Amino acid sequence: MKTFALVLVLVVAATMVIGIAGLPPHGDPDGPIHTHVGARYLERGVAETGVRNLVTAVLLVYRGFDTFLEVVVIFTALVAVLALPSATRRPPPARGESTAAPRRGSDDAVPVSPVVFFVVRLLAPFIAVFALASLYRGHVTPGGGFQSAAIIGAMMIALGLVFGREHAARLVPHGAKAWLQALGPLAFAIIAFVGWRLTGAFLGFPADEAAHALREAMVVVLEVAIAVGGAVILAQLFMALDAPS
Amino acid sequence: MSAVFDAVMLLLLIATAVTVARARDLVAAVVTFGLYSLVLCLVWQHRGAPDVAITEAAVGAGVTSVLFLLTIAKTARSERR
Amino acid sequence: MIAGAVLEIAAVALVVLGVAFLLAGTIGLVRFPDVYARAHAASKCDSVGAGSVLLGVALHDGVAFGDLKLVLLALLVVVSGPTTAHALARAALRSGRRPSTRDPAGPA
Repeated sequence: MKTFALVLVLVVAATMVIGIAGLPPHGDPDGPIHTHVGARYLERGVAETGVRNLVTAVLLVYRGFDTFLEVVVIFTALVAVLALPSATRRPPPARGESTAAPRRGSDDAVPVSPVVFFVVRLLAPFIAVFALASLYRGHVTPGGGFQSAAIIGAMMIALGLVFGREHAARLVPHGAKAWLQALGPLAFAIIAFVGWRLTGAFLGFPADEAAHALREAMVVVLEVAIAVGGAVILAQLFMALDAPS
Repeated sequence: MSAVFDAVMLLLLIATAVTVARARDLVAAVVTFGLYSLVLCLVWQHRGAPDVAITEAAVGAGVTSVLFLLTIAKTARSERR
Repeated sequence: MIAGAVLEIAAVALVVLGVAFLLAGTIGLVRFPDVYARAHAASKCDSVGAGSVLLGVALHDGVAFGDLKLVLLALLVVVSGPTTAHALARAALRSGRRPSTRDPAGPA
């Protein structure tokens, strides 16, 4: 078995090395990545999409299908975790102690350290501002929906750790939870159909100059949906895995 | 200088990747994997891809490690021999 | 001119101090006997080491508005590093780890 694994690894490695040897030299101006669509993105991307950060332009406009399915993958991960029996089983809620000093979850009685409590509360607003800035300026500077989602999600996880899951759960309104979890795929589907109606192509973006504002609005909707939906999914993944079993 | 930096980072990547694969203690593997993500984040930043670097740092080194640790807490800490 | 040189010397001194603390902290992390001593060493890396390297980089090449970011980063590191060490040591104590109290002079 070990020999087989070694042979397999060597064969795969050799294949990769041969493949890499066939690539054009790094930075070669005649390489395929510089002569096909890449050149067009660089030359006309800003004019065509109105998005000044070309990474965002490629991510949301030119390669929208990729990103659509990425969002679906994150959503599917959450669905898979929630489908695990131990993730959704909850112990009966203990009455009368929920209003006491902040406690970590309900599985143990170790009170949260006042130092950690204070520092997380101190830093949380800054983290939130950073996430919003990265979202708001995502079409100009590095950043955007996915980055913002990861930062907001991490903030929600940190708050959940110090305030306890009951308090943290209130960050997400109960009735809207399912909708927020599916926000990314839903927004993409809606925008895709809007694009279909406007351009005749699924997930198409209107290309003419007059539709500039509309195009930008579509991109902003996608960015916000990715950020909020992704953050809720990350926090929910944490809550589900952290649930006492 | 830049090539030296790249070479050191890539060697670190290989070293951490091998360490993750060889670790029997899964917590050690997760911690080393966080280190791997952090080094990869530096590589992205150095190659001029700050978008990817932010995501790598937040998701790879941050959230993924937490989720892995929670999973280990729910299952077993050591790989079955 | 003189002010620039002083600033540059201060910057280099801060970076050297930071790197020295990082080195000492890393050696401590590997060599110290228990989790408490290691957390102690590692938190020096974070707060003093990374903090003064960041401040040194901010002073390097003159002070500009953009250096405010580095100062903020240093503040973040100084706040979050000790908190992490505190949380780590507290968790270790709560889970029943006793600090190593071996007398270095006597037999083990």
